[in-house]
Amino acid sequence: MKALQIRRNIARFGAARVVGAVSPSGATKVGPLEYRTIEDPERPGDGWHRVRTRLAGICGSDLSLIGGRASTYFESWVSFPFVPGHEVVGELVDGDEAGTRVVLEPVLGHAARDFPLPFDGARPADGDDYAHLAVTSQDGVEPAIQTGFCCSTGGGWAPWFWAHESQLHRLNLPINDLPDERAVLIEPFAGGIHAALLAAPIVEGRANPVVAVLGAGTMGLAAIAGLRRYIPDIRIVVGARYPHQRELALAFGADVVVTATELDRAVRREVGCHMLGGGESGALSSGADVTIDAVGSSRSIADSLRITRPRGRVVLLGMPAHVELDLTGLWHREIDLKGAYTYGTETLSDGTVTDTFHLAIDTVTAVEAERLLSATYSLDEHLDAIDHAATAGRRGAIKIAFDLRESN
Amino acid sequence: MPRPGFVLDVDRSTPPTLFWRGEGFSLERLPADRSRIIYPPEPLAGLDNLDGHIRDALLNPLDMDPLPELLKPDMKLTICFDDASLSLPKMQQPDNRQRIVEAVLDMAAEAGVDDVHIIAALGLHRRMHEYELRHVLGDRIVDAFLPKGFLYQHDAEDPDNITEIGHTDEGEVLEINKRAAESDLVVYANINQVAMDGGWKSLTTGLASYRCLSEHHNPASLQNTRSLMDRHHSALHKSIWRMGELLRDSGPTVFQVETTINTEAFPSPFEFLAKREWEWTARDRGLFLASSKSLNKLPNRTKRKLFHKIEAPYRTTSVQAGFTATVHERTLENVYQQHLVEVDGQTDILTMGIPFISPYNPESIMNPILVMCMGLGYLFNMYRGKPLVKEGGVVIMTHPTYEEFHPVHHPSYIDFFDEVLADTNDPAVMSTKWEKKYAEDEWYRHLYRTSYAYHGVHPFYAWYWGAHGQQHAGKVIIVGGYAATVRKLGFTPASTMNDALEIASDTVGRSPTISHLHVPGVLVADVK
Amino acid sequence: MAGRTSHQYIRRGQRPDGAHRSIHVAQRAASMVEGAVRTAARPLARYGFPYRRPTAPKHVVVPRKPNGLGDTYDTEWARQPLARSLRGVIIEGPMRLAVRTIASPRVSGLDRLTDLLRVDNPRPVIFAPNHHSHIDTGVMIRSIPASWRHELVVAAAADYFFDARWKAALSALALNAIPIDRGATSRATFDRLRDVIADGNSLIIYPEGGRSPDGWGQDFKGGAAYLSTRTSAPIIPVHIDGTGEIFGKGANRLSPGRTAVLFGTPLLAAEGENTRRFNERIEAAVARLGDETLTDWWTATRNAASGRSPKLSGPDHNSWRRQWRLGEKRRGSTAGIRRRRIRRWPDLG
Repeated sequence: MKALQIRRNIARFGAARVVGAVSPSGATKVGPLEYRTIEDPERPGDGWHRVRTRLAGICGSDLSLIGGRASTYFESWVSFPFVPGHEVVGELVDGDEAGTRVVLEPVLGHAARDFPLPFDGARPADGDDYAHLAVTSQDGVEPAIQTGFCCSTGGGWAPWFWAHESQLHRLNLPINDLPDERAVLIEPFAGGIHAALLAAPIVEGRANPVVAVLGAGTMGLAAIAGLRRYIPDIRIVVGARYPHQRELALAFGADVVVTATELDRAVRREVGCHMLGGGESGALSSGADVTIDAVGSSRSIADSLRITRPRGRVVLLGMPAHVELDLTGLWHREIDLKGAYTYGTETLSDGTVTDTFHLAIDTVTAVEAERLLSATYSLDEHLDAIDHAATAGRRGAIKIAFDLRESN
Repeated sequence: MPRPGFVLDVDRSTPPTLFWRGEGFSLERLPADRSRIIYPPEPLAGLDNLDGHIRDALLNPLDMDPLPELLKPDMKLTICFDDASLSLPKMQQPDNRQRIVEAVLDMAAEAGVDDVHIIAALGLHRRMHEYELRHVLGDRIVDAFLPKGFLYQHDAEDPDNITEIGHTDEGEVLEINKRAAESDLVVYANINQVAMDGGWKSLTTGLASYRCLSEHHNPASLQNTRSLMDRHHSALHKSIWRMGELLRDSGPTVFQVETTINTEAFPSPFEFLAKREWEWTARDRGLFLASSKSLNKLPNRTKRKLFHKIEAPYRTTSVQAGFTATVHERTLENVYQQHLVEVDGQTDILTMGIPFISPYNPESIMNPILVMCMGLGYLFNMYRGKPLVKEGGVVIMTHPTYEEFHPVHHPSYIDFFDEVLADTNDPAVMSTKWEKKYAEDEWYRHLYRTSYAYHGVHPFYAWYWGAHGQQHAGKVIIVGGYAATVRKLGFTPASTMNDALEIASDTVGRSPTISHLHVPGVLVADVK
Repeated sequence: MAGRTSHQYIRRGQRPDGAHRSIHVAQRAASMVEGAVRTAARPLARYGFPYRRPTAPKHVVVPRKPNGLGDTYDTEWARQPLARSLRGVIIEGPMRLAVRTIASPRVSGLDRLTDLLRVDNPRPVIFAPNHHSHIDTGVMIRSIPASWRHELVVAAAADYFFDARWKAALSALALNAIPIDRGATSRATFDRLRDVIADGNSLIIYPEGGRSPDGWGQDFKGGAAYLSTRTSAPIIPVHIDGTGEIFGKGANRLSPGRTAVLFGTPLLAAEGENTRRFNERIEAAVARLGDETLTDWWTATRNAASGRSPKLSGPDHNSWRRQWRLGEKRRGSTAGIRRRRIRRWPDLG
């Protein structure tokens, strides 16, 4: 089949980085992503279903990989050559369930790799040992953190791929109640909601808690929606760069929305603390209880540290890669620096135990998340699609996806 | 398969869009989410074997006998043709008029017609230079008829050569060229570039006198012309049609030949002008940059020379011949097929780029009055139904609006600009106070008849052409024009598009909706 | 060095099987270059459209022009005099050198072609070799007798060799390649091939449709047979041995070795023989040549006569035994062995 594939071609990764400095669209052309005929992946074993892609989103981590900027950390956690695409809504192909729409929970967890579950009812991403991700499973599933980074399963940027039973969430709602355009946002929303729930332990018991969100792309907006729905009685302050992002942040439940550069003053006004120094060396005397950084650059992490109160928490939602950072503030303020990669089993403030995907399915419906899907492209238009995704903010877009419903 | 025109809603992904700026162009970014750009339909396919189609139309006319049956050896035959104001830019040779006139002459020769006159139906326009006649009719006709004096240009100020046909029911007088009036058959060879042209207008204006033209070329009827491109809602055309009916009843037999052309106005390397910006190839972008940068450096004279040298590769989309009214209905259908774009509702602002050419400056200078005429007269009128801009809205044009006039072609325009516009820019006032003086000025009359000047009254007509737009718009802003000149026109100068939008906010508020008319490519917005 | 790191506090890498060092070095280099380029290019950021490609507005369908790549790529220019002479230089110069150093083919069976070659202007033929490696084409071009070599066209996968303009141009120039769609061969592709044969060109077509994925051959597709019946150009079955070991599918480095090219007896479709049967005959002929390469002519002939020629596609079972048999086959082969085996002391870490 013809699919988009990333091969381990060091020259192309390097070229993408260098060309990307001048022209982002040129980077895709010389980069590691290619539209080519690939061999159909073989069924890895029992419990694996063939899923025909309907919509597959383009995620920030995909972009950094295509642009050659991904961290070498992933070297051991991916298996080349792979088909990217982990934000997928698709449909089952074989058997009685053919035609059933599904959303992929992309992590290739214990069940998918024939490892014993860490606890009963564990979701793919649960567990405190990632060994299963980094070794080839008995069925021959190569190392990879997720579908979309694994050479054995295929990925969403292809007409079809393999998904394990444990990765599938069947959508039993009719297509009018949960359109594909909405369903494709479930995976990123699950990520955002997971980050939002990480704020809960810090704000618990605080009077007038404030949560700041830096960045209002897909992930930032998902986090805002999650905060509003699942963390009661908080003030949400959002710093976002583009006007359409600010509008959506307000619509998703933010209390105060400002441009990114004004976020420190907005947080100060909410909290009522002092502001010490100015510019990059400045900091608030107190600050937001939790700051969710949905950007993931050196600048944004530094900003997050400056606006978070002592003993508060900074949640890194955007994938940071290689950053340069002054950690004095972190040390002095005893701030928690918390990563937020994925989703799994969650405990809500009222004690209910559920999994993030279910929360995400509820949330995308509640906020009508399809409005975030700005444009779709076919696979052979991938240059335009990647370019659009890479310049989404500037072009008034949020999420870009591949649409394979017609070609499939 | 040419794509139909369409309305683009500007978003943040939309590249800046093309604006004419006289003899140059620029790319302007319109505000996202509240602007729309109306793109014209792509050029329709032209007819193959055009000569065959013309012959076919002459042999199978609408509501008339075939042309050969109308031709008798001892008859008086007069052939009239549209002047240099059509087409814009001039079409590559052979011109449609040459093809038509040659076909008619072929048949006339076969029928043994001896008495043939060929008259340029130029109304009050300037006379055509010989090279223009040669371009329009071709050397064969000019060489055969011009030296003997059988090819000449209509003279509206020659009392010996004007005949009164009669008065319409509304009391309008119809006076036309005497030779045509006394002919047994008048054949009119026409090019229909826009819906305003053709029909009875060809003959009753092209061969008319000043007295006759002022019956409908006046502020009252032009303010009631909604629009010039929609004959059925135009006071001007209604008056002309009344005259046409009079002509049908008491004038000579008229055999009208109309041709419609597509919108392929720019040859290589300027094709990119008519392309949609996001489809510009690397070559197009390179050409745009090279041409716009170098045009900025050139003196106006040189730029003008360059642009007026352009010959359009128009293709003809239809030919129809026969009884004027019937022919014209068919023509209109074909014209609209090329031009109509459905547009939903009006906006607060209408933007347009004013090109280097208007119907009144072929091979000449686009003076400030013609900028007004082109913007508020022609482009503003490119609608059917309702104007694109709301009443009291703002019209923004881009043009350098330099205070330059062609001394030979536009002598009365200079005085109009200095004298009349210093006094008033209200069409009604100027028509009662100044028009007569200019119309009867002996020097202008002399220049019109013997040189290549527009008639003395013509600047008034050009100004009246914009009367409806002027009345409708709350404010008119010209971006990039000389401030003093723009103010004299009664408009507001602005240095950039952003400034213009800021100035407009006084009239239409902080976030107005905007329509942009994408020129070139001609279109008529069918506003619902 | 794999597994060592320059950081003092980590003594052992966790995964001694990866060659990650090169990636780190590359990443660091790219990052440095990127930084420099980014700084240098900063002033360019102001220049959007029309200096850069425009972006299309939302909801607008941009008509796509056929890109002229893939099986629509026009290779006619590569058969013009200038390109031909350039190709001549490439084939006799760099390609000759490369094939000799990398593959050092031993060519045999050319005597079977003498009848076809004995005339002044030999008729066009279709070579149908098995396919293991990209270097097959180079080896074939060098092994084919000179009177055919300079009017030789190679049918190459449209989706692989013609998917980018530079690749297409290079394939067309150096190999005189013609794109064919290996999925469903279209009428146009067939007509094009028929035309080049009619123009007097010979053709190399790999009936397997692609390189071997695992060292064993694949079933032959009927294209070559069909073309031969329609153009009456004889098929010359060819067996290439050893190229898979040198640069097989998925290999990322060359390991130069020896190869053997064995030409078979020209075949023509018999009266009334349909394409499918003819194709089977071609496949059997190549399989027989494979057997002959490994054993000897007489053994191969007897095996063929009794229907015991080892199949090109290997044993039917799909397990370790398939790989096992392949190893056995390779041991028997004289080809593919490294010419200079570099002897080293075992690396004891």
